[in-house]
Amino acid sequence: MKLKKMLALLLLLIASTGLIFAQGAAETTTQKGPTVVTFWSLFTGGDGEFFDAMIDEFNATHTDIQMKTDTVKFDSYYTKLTAALAAGTAPDLVVVHEANIRNYVPDQLLALDPYLEENNFPVDDFVSAPLEACKFDGQYYAIPLDVHPIIMYANTALLKQAGINDLPTNYEELIADAKAVQDKTGAMGIACDNTTAVYKAYTLTRLFFSMMYEQDGQMLSDDNMSAAFNNEYGVKALVALQDMVNKYEVTPQGLDYDSSVNAFKLGQAAFHFNGVWATGTFEKADNLDFVAVALPGLIGKPAAWGGSHTLAIPATEAKDPDHVKDILTCIDWITAHGEMWSLAGHIPTRTSVQESDAFKALPYRAGYASAAASTVAPPATDAWSEIYTTLSDKLEYAVAHNSNPQMALDDMEKTVNKIIMTY
Amino acid sequence: MIERKDFKYYVLRIIELIVLIIWLFPLIWMALTSLHVENDLISKSFHFLPAHPTLANYTKAFTSTYILQWLINSIIISTSTMILTLIIDAPIAYAFAKIKFKGKNVLFWLVMAGMMVPFQVLIIPLYLQFNSYHLINTSLSVILPRVALPIGVFILKQFFEGIPNALEESAFLDGATRYKTFSSVILPLSTAALTTVTILSFINSWNDFLWPLIALNDTDKYTITVGIANFQGTHGTEYALLLSGAVIASIPQFVFYLFFRKKIVEGIAMAGLKG
Amino acid sequence: MIPGNKDSRDGYIFCIPFLLIYILFMVYPLINGFIISFFKYNILSTKKFIGLANYRTLFSDSKFYSSLWHTTQFVLITTPSLLILGFLMALFVNSKSPFKVAGESIFFIPYVFSMTVVSTLWAWLMQKNYGLFNHLLSTVGLNPVGWLIDSKWAIWSVSFATLWWTAGFNMILMSAAIRQIPTEIYNSSSIDGASYWQTVFKITMPLIKKTLSLCLILQVIASFNVFGQVFVMTGGGPYGSTRVLIQYIYENGFSYFKMGYSAAMSYILFALIMICSLILNKIGGNEDD
Repeated sequence: MKLKKMLALLLLLIASTGLIFAQGAAETTTQKGPTVVTFWSLFTGGDGEFFDAMIDEFNATHTDIQMKTDTVKFDSYYTKLTAALAAGTAPDLVVVHEANIRNYVPDQLLALDPYLEENNFPVDDFVSAPLEACKFDGQYYAIPLDVHPIIMYANTALLKQAGINDLPTNYEELIADAKAVQDKTGAMGIACDNTTAVYKAYTLTRLFFSMMYEQDGQMLSDDNMSAAFNNEYGVKALVALQDMVNKYEVTPQGLDYDSSVNAFKLGQAAFHFNGVWATGTFEKADNLDFVAVALPGLIGKPAAWGGSHTLAIPATEAKDPDHVKDILTCIDWITAHGEMWSLAGHIPTRTSVQESDAFKALPYRAGYASAAASTVAPPATDAWSEIYTTLSDKLEYAVAHNSNPQMALDDMEKTVNKIIMTY
Repeated sequence: MIERKDFKYYVLRIIELIVLIIWLFPLIWMALTSLHVENDLISKSFHFLPAHPTLANYTKAFTSTYILQWLINSIIISTSTMILTLIIDAPIAYAFAKIKFKGKNVLFWLVMAGMMVPFQVLIIPLYLQFNSYHLINTSLSVILPRVALPIGVFILKQFFEGIPNALEESAFLDGATRYKTFSSVILPLSTAALTTVTILSFINSWNDFLWPLIALNDTDKYTITVGIANFQGTHGTEYALLLSGAVIASIPQFVFYLFFRKKIVEGIAMAGLKG
Repeated sequence: MIPGNKDSRDGYIFCIPFLLIYILFMVYPLINGFIISFFKYNILSTKKFIGLANYRTLFSDSKFYSSLWHTTQFVLITTPSLLILGFLMALFVNSKSPFKVAGESIFFIPYVFSMTVVSTLWAWLMQKNYGLFNHLLSTVGLNPVGWLIDSKWAIWSVSFATLWWTAGFNMILMSAAIRQIPTEIYNSSSIDGASYWQTVFKITMPLIKKTLSLCLILQVIASFNVFGQVFVMTGGGPYGSTRVLIQYIYENGFSYFKMGYSAAMSYILFALIMICSLILNKIGGNEDD
């Protein structure tokens, strides 16, 4: 009968579609033609575009290897990566934040030393700090692609209008300058996000972190087993953040990340704190006169939160040394063309790139490349991811409600210690 | 009865009209926003109607994102789910409704209990399971967990119970097997309920968010629902583009609604009544 | 009913396709997940049996309680409002208004759209700096409100968007039930001089009691399972004040990889939903499941 026939036909259709999908999912790397290096990157938005451009360039200039990549929304990247690593379905090459490498060591990522040696990988060309951060138990588990600290952006046109010719070098000067611009021009003093919308207000945590290290303090104890920020340093840092909004009113309440970036981009804010990756966005804005400098030592010596994107090889199956060679070729090429990646604003990790004319010719970047020296990496502990997001929530709350700093810090310390216990 | 169109009548009508317009307005606004030039939306001055109406956002959505692929993926996945659901829900519903067998009540309760299981509970074990079958990142991994739909069984069972036994008995007396009775007598009479289940399962599958997000890795394999959320992260500050993506995503659903409006409404209504 | 001794055989055969899928993709993972809740498992290393430790931890985890509370807030806000709104809409659709046909479509159509479309749209409407709502407020001289970023408003804003999205579903269910009421009942009451609202409360509502309680149970279950729209519209913010339990479960499982802990929490949620449904069922007085 008609219904049955229709059902049978549709079943056939589904079965064949299912087959097509199943076929598509299988990656064949043993074929005539170029080797395929599969790749997962977490870059989205502006970063994503620049990275795609690098991959396209690689593919255009290599006939023996082709890179196939894919982009995942930032929130879910580590979910998928971790599950894939556990299940053995991770690709050949992955981008991993330096802070997260620790979670996958030693079993999930390939220890690179023997392969680096065998293929004469130019290890010496790398700036030592970011490279050493990729070492665990004496072995390299990733190669750093960039360093991306939090820096300060300043709108020179607005500053000039308010009669300011020099950039602030500490917190007091920052507030004074921001206020001056606000009074003179009506623009926002500091575009510093302090609320969650699409993104969490990580800037607060990054500034808090930076200010702790500016004062020679630490976020966690040396053994990473307890919080170390509940002290006079922590109070000073937290109050600095709260006062920006509540006392000096140079930052509005309820400013989320996208709005803060937009405000600076449209020339409506004098100062902006963000990672170096925002440089690319601001460059493309019309009529925006700005500079980008290393974060000044707001309440101490210069020190800035910074992350590092690294390239790592999942240790999913017994790796064919020839294939690893191909993957390393990709890593080598990508890091050697760091000036292309710098278009996204990040600081390259290879000395040869930093000294190259191509890099030096880029506007802004040479200006803050020095920040790499004062960048502080997050503590190497499994619990850091949860601590980081939890602190973001707590700092957001403390700033929005102008809570008593000591009480807020007591609560943060208690919570962080509890979190560490669960790992 | 002559109805006096008094003041109260007109006041009520005006209130109703206002409420309806307000209710409909977000959709209109979604469409209007998508026709704006991006910078107009984030300028200080507010434009209600687009000053320079443009289809550029749609062009950008189609050419620089995977939106078309996502739509195709969703259509394939949801259609397959819907058909498979029918195929497996109907027989068991029939068994519950019309066949006496041991353990029927326990089994029925077991199946109904499934409706209360939050899908959260299943995502981790399901992920590991599908991976061991090498089916992660394929449409099958998205389809299969959604195929056994307890509410579908429920709706069909209620409906089948309403079909008089006499019809089956006469078919049986004519020499039909139980299967033949099922397919030739019961099913044709049940198009209303079957349609309801079809529609519910289609909508359920189309709107599924968390599981496809986890099960699908490649951006070009996303369903439209996951893809649009992806839009937010990657093009978060491009509101016009974002909204044009939302419009594109809602077109199939809108068309689906136009075609099946009566059936959808009737189906839900019937499900409610039978429940 | 087809008589005979083939009943059992036929019964089981007809059940097999469903049960196969159901057991494989629902029962088995459900049990498996429950077992995992007694382990410490971060997906990358081997499972470590820790007995009830996960459950003990969650009972002293303030984030668990706050997330559960946020979910409960959502249930408490949306359940009555969705039922009342659905009922009012159903009354409207069954009234003598010339707009009732258009109205039914307009109220129902949001339900057809997916969560991400609805959430994207409402996040845009409520966007603090550029959204329509705040533009309208500023035209009448009021200050912009952080609909989704002020903890006073966030949960209400998300609830309101949910209202717009799903009220139509309740409307359809209740409207169908209302239509089942024979008109004679209304005629006799209007002869007695009952006002419109008296009729509604004394006649309409009691007669659709079964549907009302069905809507109640469905609504409560759906609200306890809330995740998507909150996640997309507020990300659980500001500072985690709208983080619902399912988001916390998701984060623990897929951001911090505390698989066992996440599993334990989802089973607690599951148990809560079951208990609530059973209680509501009893109250509603349904004879069947």
